Amino acid sequence: MDFLLSGFIKALHLLLNRDPSTWTAVAATLKVSTGSILASLAAGLPLGFVLGYFDFRGRRFIRTCVDTLLALPTVFIGLVVYAVITSRGPLGEYGLLFTLSGIAIGQIILALPIVVALTASTVENMDSRLRLTLVSLGAGKKDLLLTCLWEVRYGLLAAAVTAYGRVMTEVGISMMVGGNIKWHTRTITTAIALETGKGMFANGIALGLVLITIAFAVNMSVSFLRRK
Amino acid sequence: MKKSVIGKAGILALMSVLLVFGSAWAGKSLMMATTTSTDNTGLLEYLEPEFEQDTGIDLKWTATGTGKALELGRRCDVDVLLVHAPPAEKAYVENGYGKDRKQIMYNDFVIIGPDADPAGIKGKSIGEALEKLKSSKSLFVSRGDDSGTNKKELLLWDSSGIKVPERAEWYLQTGQGMLATINVTEERNGYTMTDRGTYIKYRSDKGENARLSIMVEGDEILMNQYSVIAVNPDNCPDTKYELAVEFGEWMAGERAQDLIADFRLLGKKLFIPNAH
Amino acid sequence: MNPGGPLYQLHNVVHCYNDTRALSIDRMAIPAGSVTGLIGPNGSGKSTLLKLLAFAFNPTEGEIRFRGRMAYPFSREVRSRVTLLTQEPYLLKRNVFDNIAYGLKVRKDTDRLVERVEKALATVGLPYQEFAFRKWHELSGGETQRAAMAARLILEPEVLLLDEPTASVDVESAKLIRDASLAARELFGTTLVISSHDWHWLYEICDNLLHLFKGMIFDSGMENILSGPWEKQGDKLYAKNIGQKEKIFVSAPPEGKSYALIPENSLSIIPMDAETTTSHFDNRLEGIITRMILQKSSMEIIASIMISDLFFTVRLSGETVRSLSLAPGVRVVIRFQKDSVKWL
Repeated sequence: MDFLLSGFIKALHLLLNRDPSTWTAVAATLKVSTGSILASLAAGLPLGFVLGYFDFRGRRFIRTCVDTLLALPTVFIGLVVYAVITSRGPLGEYGLLFTLSGIAIGQIILALPIVVALTASTVENMDSRLRLTLVSLGAGKKDLLLTCLWEVRYGLLAAAVTAYGRVMTEVGISMMVGGNIKWHTRTITTAIALETGKGMFANGIALGLVLITIAFAVNMSVSFLRRK
Repeated sequence: MKKSVIGKAGILALMSVLLVFGSAWAGKSLMMATTTSTDNTGLLEYLEPEFEQDTGIDLKWTATGTGKALELGRRCDVDVLLVHAPPAEKAYVENGYGKDRKQIMYNDFVIIGPDADPAGIKGKSIGEALEKLKSSKSLFVSRGDDSGTNKKELLLWDSSGIKVPERAEWYLQTGQGMLATINVTEERNGYTMTDRGTYIKYRSDKGENARLSIMVEGDEILMNQYSVIAVNPDNCPDTKYELAVEFGEWMAGERAQDLIADFRLLGKKLFIPNAH
Repeated sequence: MNPGGPLYQLHNVVHCYNDTRALSIDRMAIPAGSVTGLIGPNGSGKSTLLKLLAFAFNPTEGEIRFRGRMAYPFSREVRSRVTLLTQEPYLLKRNVFDNIAYGLKVRKDTDRLVERVEKALATVGLPYQEFAFRKWHELSGGETQRAAMAARLILEPEVLLLDEPTASVDVESAKLIRDASLAARELFGTTLVISSHDWHWLYEICDNLLHLFKGMIFDSGMENILSGPWEKQGDKLYAKNIGQKEKIFVSAPPEGKSYALIPENSLSIIPMDAETTTSHFDNRLEGIITRMILQKSSMEIIASIMISDLFFTVRLSGETVRSLSLAPGVRVVIRFQKDSVKWL
């Protein structure tokens, strides 16, 4: 228990003294999770819209598949991504292993089902009068997509925050694909794993608190956006 | 309005992806796979700036179990290995995956157990100690994770002529790191085999409360040899073979050997250089 | 282009929700520039017809031509020329100004935008300064309906489809919406199709009235439809209770819940104090004239007669009204034979 308190003190210490290795890990975490969340949103919002809006053959089956993908364990994603981007793998020539880009690929696979599933259910629960209103105001198909997404923006924001939280806190992919390389691919979560492995529990707690602080800041700014 | 928002988001996404890609390193750099012990003890962080200063090579490493480190080398994902499982290493070189294996340093393994020593193995030889553990069915905690330490433990059973008690009730496999395994051992009042460095750390963390102490040590077979192996360019044409050889030579060189000899954790030496 | 010709032509249009047939129209035409009223009970297919006319979706079967050409949802010919206002309109989650400007923005027609929004708001009685920058949830029901109307009027639509536009709003809003509908017709030559429970309004302004019942269209004479239940009174005699003691007698209905249509030409009306003959009618119902209105298209007078909680509608010539001295408030008797009832 004693390391909880010393971890808290250490967290303040690390942040206030701008400990470079901590800050590099924070920067790597933010960089990779933000990049992968933006890519997931760019692909996931339209996909989720299509899945939630249109009624087509096989839709229920696809929904079930997407919902199943929500349960993908991160180490499994890490392993699959590793198999693909290892030098001997199909994408080996791009040298993505042990890079933040490699981690981003895995995290996109992690976040995409979350974004798609939550977008789809948000769109499914959209007011049924919305489409009729837009069509009767002369909206084209593209306007329809964009306006619908904008109408359910709060639901989508919640989807994005959920996915962001998941991506930022995962450790399996970062460890497996990133390799926890200091100054390069060490993220906050892999650093926690390392510190714990070294028996430096207080350091691990400190980094965990840093992560929670970031998550809190993200949620605060989202709720500020909502109020506006 | 919303169109421009989405447009901006798209550009932002693209930029961040480029940023992530752009951060892939340039210049002379060497990728190494190593075992957790060299990383957890802080040895590599201590050596890396010196190496870069001497050679201008940026050394990066990923710390995993020896099994995975060898696999990373076989798949050409790294350029050089720093590992501690000599039989596996020799087979690895023979199979053409590695080249230019150089012994660098060693530390040693010890068997630790509760102070009361219910199995009565204190001061015995390895063979006797393991036999006593088996006959008294005293709890033995194993890493069980195919790490270098785990490989060594299996070798001890083997060389003592005892079949690895894989399914025995008194044989517990944690699948976790060394420190976690020591903690399990203490909680369950059992015995385990550990590298001396992690044991020193455990003693220092727990201080007065540590309930485990060294039972068996000093046997030749308990030596833990670390070696550098370059990934074989015949297997991996794109590997940075010359840089890997340079690293191996530097590690075996006088300066690095002195640095290793001077490296201390909690006032105790962890590694003994033996390249010469 | 075919000015004055049929704007809409429907052929063999059938629309089903899942497997339930909601609408079935063999043939129907709506002339350009006309005002068409849709009358019918709830679930008769009015809303479905309006949505089809708005090209919100394709009918299950059949074709809908607009200006002689086949048209579909999102067709260039109909986009932002045909617009529908629903009974409970939906405002986009943005302020009133952006709601009203939405249609113009999607067709990239934003010259003098502020001026036009201001004008559209004025048409429905919402002052710009006070309302333009309110959020969607800061309006009352009537204001919401009027803002939604303004969002359609600003498009200067060729066709304005109104689905019960005044059913769930306050009296003041209802009047503003009625006036705005007619203003659209005068200013832009807009063709109007309106479904409403406010029959008087429809009789007053419509060039033609269509009656919908169970998804089918009838031209007129469908005003007096009575629903069951019908109770057996004796041999081949059934009745529906109205009010305290009065009964409407009919001959055997096909089912207990069948709808009875009392054809207009079988109804006769006389002032109560002028009733002299004792000739036998199966049904003799006492009521009071609540409203009389001149139907513009036929120059006939439509009278509403309240009998307990039921309303009957009778179509009268000007001459009859004058000779019988009929006026709102006059107590009258309406009579019809039970065998003249048709079952729907």
